[in-house]
Amino acid sequence: QKPPPPARGRPGRSAQTPPTRRKVEGPGTPWGPDGAGAGGRPRRRRSQKQLEVKVAELVQFLLIKDQKKMPVKRTELLRHVVGDYKDVFPDLLRLAAQRLEYVFGYRLVELEPKSSTYVLVNTLEPVEEDAEVRGDQGTPGAGLLMIVLGLIFMRGHTIKETEVWDFLRRLGVHPTKRHSVFGDPKKLITEDFVRQRYLEYRRLPHTDPVDYELQWGPRTNLETTKMKVLKFVAKIHNQDPKDWPVQYCEALADEAARARPQPGVPAPSS
Amino acid sequence: LDPALEEPEGDEEEYRSIRKQYRALIYQVQDQRHDIVNTANESLTEALEEANGLFDGVTRTREAALDAQFLVMAADLGKEKSRQLRSDVSLFNQAAFCDFLFTFVGVSGLEEKHDRLDDGDEGRVRYFWETLQRKAASWTLRAETFHFMLGSFNSEPSVPRPRQRRRRVRSVEEKSAMPKKLKRMDLNNNQETTEREVERILGLLQTYFRMHPNSSVSYFEFVVDPHSFARTVENIFYVSFIIRDGYARISLDQDRLPVLQPVSNNQMGEEYDSGPSGMKQGIISLSLQDWRNIVATFQISKPMITKEY
Repeated sequence: QKPPPPARGRPGRSAQTPPTRRKVEGPGTPWGPDGAGAGGRPRRRRSQKQLEVKVAELVQFLLIKDQKKMPVKRTELLRHVVGDYKDVFPDLLRLAAQRLEYVFGYRLVELEPKSSTYVLVNTLEPVEEDAEVRGDQGTPGAGLLMIVLGLIFMRGHTIKETEVWDFLRRLGVHPTKRHSVFGDPKKLITEDFVRQRYLEYRRLPHTDPVDYELQWGPRTNLETTKMKVLKFVAKIHNQDPKDWPVQYCEALADEAARARPQPGVPAPSS
Repeated sequence: LDPALEEPEGDEEEYRSIRKQYRALIYQVQDQRHDIVNTANESLTEALEEANGLFDGVTRTREAALDAQFLVMAADLGKEKSRQLRSDVSLFNQAAFCDFLFTFVGVSGLEEKHDRLDDGDEGRVRYFWETLQRKAASWTLRAETFHFMLGSFNSEPSVPRPRQRRRRVRSVEEKSAMPKKLKRMDLNNNQETTEREVERILGLLQTYFRMHPNSSVSYFEFVVDPHSFARTVENIFYVSFIIRDGYARISLDQDRLPVLQPVSNNQMGEEYDSGPSGMKQGIISLSLQDWRNIVATFQISKPMITKEY
């Protein structure tokens, strides 16, 4: 029996075999009466259960990718998890994001508007007094990252790589020596943190020997703020954040900018 | 050709001299880069004025290109210098930051500053960074990394790789009565694990026999793990393979306690040749209380069969 001609208005779907009978959904499900997603586009019929499984797989995939703190591309989601369910992808992603928020307290956020790359951010504001009982996060690199971020901000949003090492050497962290906790610190800072999008690493022109500059990456602004970093640095110094007026003013401006309603709300949409 | 566009003939000597001066200027500025950016000196302005003067003598593209190169460099340096000026205003002292960090994390500063975390004992280094991480976590909204709470059944530590699902669900051709295809069950893994563990334990046993020739080892002392009942049972399971395959013998000593003895090469063959009357079976039953009693009676403090990792 030949498959019916493609009549869906989408090119390239003639390779699909015809859908078989499916349970018709009643009202009250998120999938609409015929297994279609919202929007009423003509859809393949799928059971509620299959779609639920897809959402669950998405959630699990995102959680596991987050273990390495690597941003997840939409194409990865489509290729490894969604597959044939591509037509309902926006709904799947929306439901997955809901689940992540309600169950885990994590928000699925787009790294930058229209980047189609996603990260997980905690919605729960941490409590300082809980520091002692916090679990180990697996990688202690987060502490090192925080210091580097603080250094960058206090030095005016950008710092030379050589200056970072001058500082870290005093803490026993060297670019060329193996570290008992971090392994290869140079790789951690200039590659891993960059790939995780916490830092930007750029070559400085006309430098001899070659030097690089480090700045905050887009993910940093999602997970923390200038004010928080300043307060952290101030706490370490046992001083008031206002003791650094220039940085304090910038942090205030940043807070004000965040309070304004943002265009391009970071919600997962198609 | 429009005469205005023609490059004027001039003194080659002079052109060469101009180029040489430009290069010298560029080299000099690069050399003084650090001072130019970080101090309040006027050297950048002076260099620009010198380049200005040189430019008066420039009539050809070749020299003009050098002038352009110099300008690009000067512009970059100017940008850096202004950036530096800005950050100087707020007086952030990196060295002091370091010292405060030590106090903040709570590492007792007994030794010289630069010895504190350098080549020191790893325990202290780890403590420093883990404590710092815990405190720093108060200031970010980092999502906690996902792990299964109770670990996995694997005998090896799990490989730290994100496990990605590559299954494409075949949503078509599915009759509603047919169950979903079974995921391939990893039965092979279990068999390999058993073999591997048996071999490993056999190795441990043989090492013991090599180190203590002509002696036997108490069975219970060998298999019992005072910290884990489950591991004790596993050890008994694995040792039973060793005995079944004839790599060791189990017998009762004069106190009627079981002991393990090595099997010499000619004896090994003997066991296999013996007829049905030679096959013996033994059953060991061990309850949690029994295990505790054995640990107490034999005063076992450390397991002889150590974990693989």
